[in-house]
Amino acid sequence: MSGGASASVRLEAQPPTLAAPRSDSVAGLVSTDAFPLSLEGVHKRWDKNQAPILDGVDLRLDLGTKTWIGGRNGAGKTTLLRIAAGLIDPDRGRVHAWGFGPHDKRSRYHRLVAFLPAGDRGLYARLSVRHQLRFWAAMAMIDHAAREARVEETIDAFDLRELAEQRVDRMSMGQRQRVRIAMTFLPEPETVLLDEPLTSLDSEGAVVLDRAIEGLIDRGGALLWCSPSGDHPEHEFDSDWMLEAGRLVAL
Amino acid sequence: MSEFRGSARAFREVLARDLRVYLSYRSRLASQALTSVFSLTLFYYVSQLVHVSGFSSPGAYFGFVIVGIALVGVLYSCFSVADTVRQELIAGTFERLVLSPFGPVRSVIAMAVFPLLYAFTMAAFTLAFGWAVFGLQLHWQTVPLAIPAMALALLAFLPFGLAFAALTVVMKQGNVGTSWVIALISIVGGLYFPITLLPEWVQTAAKFQPFTPATEMLRHLLVDSPQATSALVTIAKVALFAAVLLPVSIWALRRAIREGQRRGTIIEY
Repeated sequence: MSGGASASVRLEAQPPTLAAPRSDSVAGLVSTDAFPLSLEGVHKRWDKNQAPILDGVDLRLDLGTKTWIGGRNGAGKTTLLRIAAGLIDPDRGRVHAWGFGPHDKRSRYHRLVAFLPAGDRGLYARLSVRHQLRFWAAMAMIDHAAREARVEETIDAFDLRELAEQRVDRMSMGQRQRVRIAMTFLPEPETVLLDEPLTSLDSEGAVVLDRAIEGLIDRGGALLWCSPSGDHPEHEFDSDWMLEAGRLVAL
Repeated sequence: MSEFRGSARAFREVLARDLRVYLSYRSRLASQALTSVFSLTLFYYVSQLVHVSGFSSPGAYFGFVIVGIALVGVLYSCFSVADTVRQELIAGTFERLVLSPFGPVRSVIAMAVFPLLYAFTMAAFTLAFGWAVFGLQLHWQTVPLAIPAMALALLAFLPFGLAFAALTVVMKQGNVGTSWVIALISIVGGLYFPITLLPEWVQTAAKFQPFTPATEMLRHLLVDSPQATSALVTIAKVALFAAVLLPVSIWALRRAIREGQRRGTIIEY
C-alpha cells in the first residue's frame, strides 16, 4: 500500500493541512483539520442470520489522493460507499467528511461529498441533459449567479455539448453514464465516491472521467473508487484495498 | 446566497422540472380537459333529470356538484405526491435527492406544488366551462376570495399527501390506500351531495377532517351555497387543520426517510 488512504492504526496521526487552495464555492465550509473522508469501526449487517457485510471498517482518505477498493461481487463495496455518502447508516461506527457527519450537518456534508452509484439509474428520463444538469445544480444549492455558467462548464468538460438538448431516454447507456458522471462532478465536490464508474463508458468517456478526477485531485480533493476485484482501473492510485469478509485488506 | 433564497430557487427548479416532464406528454392536457368536460356534461344532465331534495332548482344542485368535481381534482393532486415519490424511488432519483444539499423532505414538498397548481388551474377551467356552456351561476362578488381560500384549503389538504408519501417511502408502494381514502373523502367531505344525507355518526366523524369545511367554504364563495356556520368559523377550522397537520406530516416524512436510512431500506423500491 502506498500513501493516501489509511487504516485505523494511522488514525492517530496528525491530520494534514489543506494541500491545495479550495474553490470559492466551498471555502469556509470545510474544517481545515479534517479529512476528506473518515470511516471508523463501521459495521453493517443486512440480515441478523448472516455475517456482517462490513465488520469494523476503518478508512481514511487524505487530501489530494486516489483510493481504490476492490472485492468480489457482494463483498460490501456498494454498501461501504452508500454509508460513506450518507445514504444509509452503519449499525455502528462513525462517518465523517471534512469534519462533518452526514446527519449532524447534512447539507454541508452533501455539498462536499458526491456519490456516483453503480448502474444507470438516477436520471429523469424525459429531461434533456441541460435541464438535468440545471435541476441537479439547483438541488446542490449552487449559487444562482454561478449556476448557469457551472452547467455550461460541465457540459463542455464532459463533452456533452452535442447531447445537451437531447432527452436522456433517447441516449445510449454510455452517454447516460457520462451524464451521470457529469452530475456527480457538477457541484465541484471535494470528496468523490465512484461505484464502478467505467460501466458502459467508451475510451473517450474514460478520458473525460480521468480529466475530472485530475481536477479534483489538483484542488486537494479525494477520490474513492470501487469496482470488482478483477476490474482494477488503469489509474494509478495512492492506495489499493480489497474488501474481504467485511474488512479492508491493504494490497 | 442565503439558505432561504437557495431553497426558494430549488423549489422553483422542481416546479420547472415537473412542468417540463408534464409538457413532454403532449396529449395529457387535452385528455384531462376532456375528462373534466365529460364529467360536467354528465352531472349537468343528471341535475336536469333528477329533483334533488334540499336544492331549490336543478341549477342549484349543478352549482353544488361542480365545485365538488373541481375539488376532487385537487384532492387527487394532493395524493399524487405519493405516486411521484414512488416513481422517484424506482428511477433512483430519490436517493440522489436524499444526497442533495436541498434534501429529500423539501424536495417532496416541492414535488407537491406543480400538481396542486395544475389542479387549481383545472378547477378554474372546470368552473369557467360550467359557467360558459351550462350557465353555472357564479357568485362573482366573492369569487376572487376563493383564490386565497383555495390556497388555505391546499395547505390543509397537503398533509394527507405528505403522509402518504411517507408511507410510500416505508412501504414502497405508491397507492397505499390512496384510492379508497379519496373515495371516502369524497363521501364524508360532501363533494357530490350534502353530508346531511349521511347517518348522524358519519356527519359527526366528518367534522374531524378539513375537507368538509373547506368544501363548504369554497362553495359559499363560488356559488353562494349557504353555510352551516359563519365564514370566519369555517376559515378558522381549515386554518387550524393546516396548522396542526402540516408539521405532523412533515415530521412523519422526515422520520420515514431517516428510518429508511437507518435500516438501509431507503435504497429499495
